[in-house]
Amino acid sequence: MDTTGPTPDRAVRPGGARGRSGGLRDTLEGYAFAGPFLVAYGLFLIYPFFKGIWISLHDWNLLAVAFNPAAKHFVGLKNYVHMVWGQHLVWGVDHLVWARAIGLAAVVAALALASRGRLPWRTAVPLAVVGVLLFGVALGIHPASDGRWYDRRFWHIVWNTLLFVLLTVPSVTVIALGLAIALNRQSRHAAALRTAFFLSQVLSVTVVTLIWQLMFSPKQGILANLFRTLGLQPIEWITNPQLAMPAIVITTVWWSIGFALIIFLAGLQEIPAELYEAARIDGAGGWRIVRNITLPALSRTTTLVVVLQIILQFQVFGQSHLITRGGPDDSTQVLVRYIYQTAFQNSRLGYASALSVFLFIFMLGFSLLQARLQGSD
Amino acid sequence: MVGSRGRDRVLMPLLTVLAVLWLVPVLWMLSMSLQPNELLARTTSNTFLGLIPIPFTFHNFIRLFTLGLTPRWFLNSMIVSIGMTVLVLALSSMAGFAFARIRFRGRNLVFALVLAGLVIPEQAVFIPLYTMFADWHWHNTYQALIAPRLAVPIGVFLMTQFFRGIPSYIEEAAQLDGANRWTLFTRIMLPLSVPALTTLAILTFLYAWNDYLWPLVSANHKEMFTITVGLASIQSNFAQSEGLGRVMASGVMASLPMILLFLVFQRYVVRGIAMGGGK
Repeated sequence: MDTTGPTPDRAVRPGGARGRSGGLRDTLEGYAFAGPFLVAYGLFLIYPFFKGIWISLHDWNLLAVAFNPAAKHFVGLKNYVHMVWGQHLVWGVDHLVWARAIGLAAVVAALALASRGRLPWRTAVPLAVVGVLLFGVALGIHPASDGRWYDRRFWHIVWNTLLFVLLTVPSVTVIALGLAIALNRQSRHAAALRTAFFLSQVLSVTVVTLIWQLMFSPKQGILANLFRTLGLQPIEWITNPQLAMPAIVITTVWWSIGFALIIFLAGLQEIPAELYEAARIDGAGGWRIVRNITLPALSRTTTLVVVLQIILQFQVFGQSHLITRGGPDDSTQVLVRYIYQTAFQNSRLGYASALSVFLFIFMLGFSLLQARLQGSD
Repeated sequence: MVGSRGRDRVLMPLLTVLAVLWLVPVLWMLSMSLQPNELLARTTSNTFLGLIPIPFTFHNFIRLFTLGLTPRWFLNSMIVSIGMTVLVLALSSMAGFAFARIRFRGRNLVFALVLAGLVIPEQAVFIPLYTMFADWHWHNTYQALIAPRLAVPIGVFLMTQFFRGIPSYIEEAAQLDGANRWTLFTRIMLPLSVPALTTLAILTFLYAWNDYLWPLVSANHKEMFTITVGLASIQSNFAQSEGLGRVMASGVMASLPMILLFLVFQRYVVRGIAMGGGK
């Protein structure tokens, strides 16, 4: 995003819009036009954002404070300590060793790409620093045999949320990319198919979960009915801790390829036709054209889709809340649902706000990445 | 455009089959909404896995309009979605016009601060908003459901981008004719921006209609549910009390406006997502 101000306007200034810049009249009119939005922005986004941080520094019971505003207690960072820390924590090289090895390998790969000029250093270096701190240091921390996390559920829920993102985002991206390449043609048939694949995206999460709850039902679901006709035992998706997460991932992939499909199709439109012509003259066939021209040309679009999907899917709530209710055994409990329950079922607004701040910080990195990707167009 | 005709003869039929399979969940919902409840209580796969509504009935939809709260929820969703869309368009186009076409003092700083708001997710503010609106006795009102979305800067961002692209000679010509800024905005800029406004309107309406988390938190009287929240409230016990056919009919009702809107304005939806990343 261009945060430095509107350049086209600046270019036309001499003869253009109302002469001098920053005259009293322009300033009054500017604020008059922007005013209504700025009021809403301050009141319903900026003020609540800081108030949320303030609430997170308190022991704040929803019901108690509703009856008596003085019933909140300032506790400093206690909520945050309770959230991320524990009793008798130790650091070990071998803790989560595989995940950390893969993470550090990714850091090395990013630096290798940067040294070959395929990735700007200003992106690679911050990524590497965060990566080393996260995989090299932070993930080695764990409770000793006589220790425990203060919040036994928190890291498990963070992991569930990440697992959901890890399973959903690549599936959505690959399916949408494949469909976009296959359907990037001007025919009524292709247009109808694009519409069909996009359609599920306009449904609300409650409609999607209504349908898929029943799809997965071992008594009434389509798959179960099909299995029974074939004489097979229907699968118990939702009550099985191993299959509950795949069930909400399948639901989500079905629901959310539409946006990704459209972004890919827009990206494909920008590839100059001459590139294809040249390849065809060189005698390249379908798959080789896709691999050597289409995919490299779409690399920025693909990164954008991945980042947007991570931001979107990290906020998963409805699928978990309505299909599996976080279960069985917390196996599909995700961060936003934990925040919702902590705040509105357990009335612990202070702790829930600290969880919200954690969510915000995590997503901030990806939002900034998105801003950089969209801004440099 | 890529690939030869021979490959198309395999690829397109394959994709067509896949597309039909992709739509099966939606078709199944539609089919069940048109079957009798008593039948569905026994089996959901009566004719061709239940995908063909035989025996057929409109009873579920008729009952929907005579019994229960679904019509009320539908109306609530309409009021909230239309109200939110109108207000977002008004606020975003005015602010976008100011940021793109008026050189006011502090503009660049204010615009940067507004863009910074893009990184704040709804989940980071919904708890403090809940306490604020509780203090104001706003919960279970339409304004409580509408207001938080008015602060999201994506509309301002899109409109600013759009207004920047309008050539300045149009503005100058209007000024020579002695038009003041409000006239310039309403008579010239707004008519020129109908495509951008349509795109923003559809994305906002889609968001408003399908939003779940905030209405779930803010509206806790059944009469103030939106259709999205209302549908969630009846789906947990559908088999027993409501009847599967009727719940599916509610689902169809909840989806129909969005599907129609999408089919009619598909072009604008596509452009909006390609521009704004679908947020």
